[in-house]
Parts: sequence; structure tokens; C-alpha cells
Amino acid sequence: MEGQHPLNASFHGSMRSRDSSSTAGSDAREKIKDCFRKFIAFMFTQVGVGALVVCYAILGAAGFMHIEKDSPDQQLKDVQQWRSNCAEELWNITVNVNVFNETAWVVRVNKVLKIYQNNITAAIHTGYNGRSAEDIWSFPAALMYSLSVFTMIGYGNVIPKTVWGKVMTIAYACFGIPIYVLYFCNMGKVLAQSFKWLYITAHECSRRDDALFEDGEMQTIKRKITVPSTACLWVISFYILSGTIMFGAWEKWNYLDSTYFCVISLCKIGFGDFVPGANIADSAGGSHLKLVINFIYVLLGMGLVAMCYNLMCEDVRVKVRELREDLKSCLDDITLKITMCMNDTKYYHQKQMRHVK
Amino acid sequence: MPRRKRRLASRIRAYIRGLLAFLFSNVGVIVLVVAYTIAGAFMFQAIEGAGEVDRAARMEQLRNSTAQYLWENVTLTLNLFNETALKEMINIELKEYQVEIVWAVRHGWDGGRSSRQWSFSSAFLYSLTVITTIGYGHLSPKTNWGKVITIMYALLGMPLFLLYLSNVGELLARWFKCIYALICLCRGCPGFTRRRVDRFRPQLEISDVESIERPQGWWTRYSDSDITPEYRDPYPRGYQRRPDYLRSISMPQPWESPHYQDPRNRGWSEPLPRSPSEATSEFSYVTFDAQTITVPISVCISILVGYIMFGSMIFCMWEKWDQLDGAYFCFISLSSIGFGDFVPGERVYTPRIETSFIVCSLYLMLGMALVAMCFNLMQEQVIHYFAGIKRALKRLCRCKR
Repeated sequence: MEGQHPLNASFHGSMRSRDSSSTAGSDAREKIKDCFRKFIAFMFTQVGVGALVVCYAILGAAGFMHIEKDSPDQQLKDVQQWRSNCAEELWNITVNVNVFNETAWVVRVNKVLKIYQNNITAAIHTGYNGRSAEDIWSFPAALMYSLSVFTMIGYGNVIPKTVWGKVMTIAYACFGIPIYVLYFCNMGKVLAQSFKWLYITAHECSRRDDALFEDGEMQTIKRKITVPSTACLWVISFYILSGTIMFGAWEKWNYLDSTYFCVISLCKIGFGDFVPGANIADSAGGSHLKLVINFIYVLLGMGLVAMCYNLMCEDVRVKVRELREDLKSCLDDITLKITMCMNDTKYYHQKQMRHVK
Repeated sequence: MPRRKRRLASRIRAYIRGLLAFLFSNVGVIVLVVAYTIAGAFMFQAIEGAGEVDRAARMEQLRNSTAQYLWENVTLTLNLFNETALKEMINIELKEYQVEIVWAVRHGWDGGRSSRQWSFSSAFLYSLTVITTIGYGHLSPKTNWGKVITIMYALLGMPLFLLYLSNVGELLARWFKCIYALICLCRGCPGFTRRRVDRFRPQLEISDVESIERPQGWWTRYSDSDITPEYRDPYPRGYQRRPDYLRSISMPQPWESPHYQDPRNRGWSEPLPRSPSEATSEFSYVTFDAQTITVPISVCISILVGYIMFGSMIFCMWEKWDQLDGAYFCFISLSSIGFGDFVPGERVYTPRIETSFIVCSLYLMLGMALVAMCFNLMQEQVIHYFAGIKRALKRLCRCKR
């Protein structure tokens, strides 16, 4: 509701000023003001908010790319160093141990390999994945990164390593999350309204055939129609299904994995064990279309989730109210029956008195 | 007599109802969330823990086979004295082995550092990250059943956690408002307030309107010390906004400026010239309620920053991260982004791993509720601002016409 206030205020203002400008003649200042008002009103509509979100994401992607690309890559050098050290040690073992003593050689090599393996796992746990910073921070990956920051998904496959990257991430999230929440609310409201309109028109179209039989009661029973939760669930599950098929085809995941990815993304959990951007970036080159589709999929999915949240809240509220009314009437019925059964006139009088009071 | 008895019965019933509502609203929800998380921890431990042993065994086997391969294909075939060629071969082989390790770690192998990756505490943290939608991702389900159960668990758990957030956030907001009213508006010192009231009492004058509006015996009740501080002194020194100003969010009235410029009256003051329309609001000030005040945004933000700093200090001490990393971790966790590049308990081999996990989960749950609380308070304040701006805009437009 609070998102509506500035919209309404500016909108009314622009309406009134337009009237005044037509009556009082064209005034340049008034015109500029009018344009400004219109611009603000547009910025608060869904198109403006959507454009704002996309612009913010692109801006963030460029910024993070700029910051992170020229970060010194200590870990890559470390891993290379470890590997050459390990080869050196293996050579030493080969020189020292007799060539024909196989078991001793294998045992010692095993020990060296184990140290090497521990080093590598430690490096992986602190973010090494075998690629240099320039490979990681391609534009698509950076775009996915900024999306994952301000939508609070947080895949974690791409991570800022520099100090400035971390500070920038915090600042970016601080400003991005409110913008995203604005988008979420706006999109949810608009989608919910349009979906509700669609549902009601469909409902009435289907009802009209039945209305031939009971057209007299049509007007009398005019209840407020709420979209049932099952319809929302159907919409969401269709969206997830389409995502499943799409990602399954592109990323060569099996269907369970891509369903898992879709649900984890749309729920904003974002484990990051499956991320589409990684593979898309690997295939490289002209796969920007796929990336854009992926980006739009996540953003639109968030809007759909917001819509379903809105509609289901309404539905649940109506259901709870109905339940409460039912329960109350049921309780009244039971108390009445009990009092009748007990045939206790005194108690009955007391109850009557309380009712009067 | 029957009337009194009935009143007693109704009072008891009201108490019981209040107790039940309290259980269902706050404690009940917290217990429900914790129980749900514990159940999830056991479930995931049972499902995912089984595959873990196989994985470790497979890595062992992989290492052995690499050593064997090195022996057969490199050492035996190549000349022993050709050092560079041998090193090159070993390097290539090691690179392949490294790729295998990377793949295995990405798919859930822990490197043999801890005996069991899906211990109870980590499974607990995992289910907490699912329902709070943080999703660190350092632990993720590898088996098919684990994935399916995770989806179900998230779909059920997230509404539950939202319920928890709204409930506890509201509760905390209410408490915080009381505390804020007590400490920040009354300077936290009842004696000081009483002394100030005593000092200003001779200067006070009750206008005719107020003496009409106020109930009889208000002054005697007022001088009693058992009245709550926010009731006693709603206009302390430095408190710029008056509650009636807040309640009827309006532009500053012209009579306000002389009232606030008078330094003697600022601490405890009654605006003497009042129109009859203000009398009602003046009366409502007598029953001043702490819930009607709004907490400024800066206080909320400073509380969040303080909480993040506190968390970063704790995690710095435990995990030996530097201050920025700790703050970064806390921010990323509390904003439910959850990259998972820093995870608590990862570096702790000592038995402290248990306490680390427990404190971390407590920190997360409390922090989420705190964030919800701050959003509650900030939303109120922002609505208040917007209403004021709207009114001001309207007034401006009207002036121009």
C-alpha cells in the first residue's frame, strides 16, 4: 500500500496541473513540472521499476568486472607451485628408492599425493576453481553475480576476492535490495491484478453456460471471487516445468537436477551447486541470448512468486474468515443444543442475561 | 454474588486465552521452528550421511590408482636419468589428478578433514539455511532423495519461518519501542525525571480546557511514583515531537515555534494557548502509550550495524578471520544472500565445533528476527514520512491555486 501513495500523489498532481495548464494557457515552467511528474509516475510503474532493476544489474556487473578482473591471482600461482613441488618430490623418490621395489615406491608416492590433495582441497574451500580471475569474471558471470546479490539468492559460485570487491558487494546489496523489493511488490501487485482479471473473466465465461439454468440466482448470489490457491500453484508448477525443460536441454542436466535448480533459485535459497552461468560462460562467445533468457527467467519467476504470494495471502485470509464464521456458528449451535438438552432453566436464564448485557 | 463470580470466571478465561495466544504466537512458533529444524537435521543426516562413506572410499581408491599409474606408465617406461621428461609426465598426470579432486570436492567430498561431514550440527545448520533461504551451499544434497526432500522441506519450511519472522519481529519491535521510550526519551533515570518534574511543577499552569478534560484526581495520581515513566513524562527535554503531533501527522503549527523556543518550558511544558480542537489530543496524551511513538531510522540502522559488528567480533575470535571478512560474512548471512565462501565451523577441528555451530545458528535466527524488527520499525517511520510529504505536497498545490 505504501508504494501506492507517491504514485497516487504524483498522478493526481499531474492530472490537476494538466487541467490548469489547459485553462491558464501554456506555461513553460508548468510544462517542465508536468514532464517531471510524469517521469516520476512512470518510474514508479512496473516498466520503470523493471528498467531500473535491469540497469542496476548491468551497472553492477560492469563495476564488479572492473574491480575483480585485475585482482592478483595468488592462488593459481600457489597451485602451480604445489604441483611442481610435488613432481620434484616424486623425482627424488624415484632417484632414491630402488626402481624394482614397487611397494615401497607406491607407499611413499601415496604419502606425497595425500599432502598434495589436502593442499588442493584447502585451496578449493577458499575459492579456487582452476580458472583465473579474467576467465571467471566474464560479463555474463558478473551479471549473474549482481543478480544473485540483489535478489538475495547468493549462488556463491563466483565470489569477490579483493577487499574492494567485498566492500562494494555490501554497498551494492544495501542499495539493491530495496530496489528489488520495490520491483517484487510492484510486479506482484500488477501480475496478481491481471491474473485475477483473467481468472474472473474465464470464470464468468464458463459460468454463463450454466447460468441458463439458474439465471435467477445469478444476481442474488454475487460473491466476491478470489483466485483459489490451486490455480497459483498450477501457474508456478508450469513455470518450474518450463524452466526444467529449458535448462535440461541447455545444460545437459537431468530433469531432477534442473527442477532442483529452479526451486532452489525461486525460493532464493541458492546453494550454488548447479549454476547455469558457469556452463554458459564456458561455451563462451555468442551465448549472450541464453544468458539474457536466463536472467529474464529468474527475474520473471520472482515476479510470479510475488504474484502467487499476493493471491494466496488473500485466499488464505478469506478461507480463515469463513472458517472462523463456520466455527462460530457451529459452536453456537452446540451450546444451544447442550443448553436445551440439559434443560437447565437457570443456566439458560443466565446465558440470556449475559447476552442482553 | 453471582455477578462477581462470573466476573472472576471471565477473568480467568481471559487469562487462559491470553496464555494460549502467547504460546501460539511467540514461544509456540519458536519451538515449532526449532523442532522443525531438528527434525530436518535428523532426516538429512539419515539420507545424506550414507553416501558419504562411499565417497571417501572412492577417493582413496583414486589416489591409489594414480600412484599405480605413475609407477607403471611413467617410472618404468621412461629412462630414469631423463629428469625433465619424467617431471613433465608427472606434471601432466598430477594435473589430471587435480581435476579429479576438484570435481570430487565440488560434488561433496570434504577432503577427509572431518570424520563426518553430515554430523548433527552441520545438518542442523544445513536445514536452517534452507528454511531461512540463506543457502550457503557448502553442504548440498548429492543423492536424488536428498534433492527431492530438500524441495519439500523448503516449500513447507519457508512459510513457517516467515510466520516466525513476522511474529517475533513484531514482538521485538514492541519491546524495543518500550525500551526506547524508557531509555531514550526519559533518559533512563526515574529519579532524574521526578526531580525535573518537581522543579517544573510550580511553573505549570493548567488551562481551563485541560482541567475540564482531565479526570478528577489526575494530579494526585500524577504525583504517585507508581506510574510508568513514559506515562509520567511524555515531554522530556530534547524530545522534539509530541505524541499528538505524531498521531495526527501534520505540518508544524504556527503556535509551536514560540513554545519550543522558550528554554524554560522545553523540558516539561504545557502549551498554554490551545484551541478546543487540541483538547482531545491533549486528553489522549494523558493515556500516553509507548506504542504510538515511532523510532527513527538511524536508531534501527545503528542497531543493525552494532549487531553485525558484534557478530564479526565473535567470528573473528573463533575462526581467525579479519574484521572485514567477519563483517562481510555477517552481512551476507543476515541479508540471506549466503554465498558460502565463509562458513562457520569450517576451520575448527577442536571440540568447539559444536558450540560454534550452536552459537552460529542462534546468531542467525536472532539476527533474522532483528532484521525483521528493524524493517517493521522503519516501515512505520517511512509511512509516516510519506504521509507528511503527501500532506505537504497537497498543501503546496492548494496554496498555488
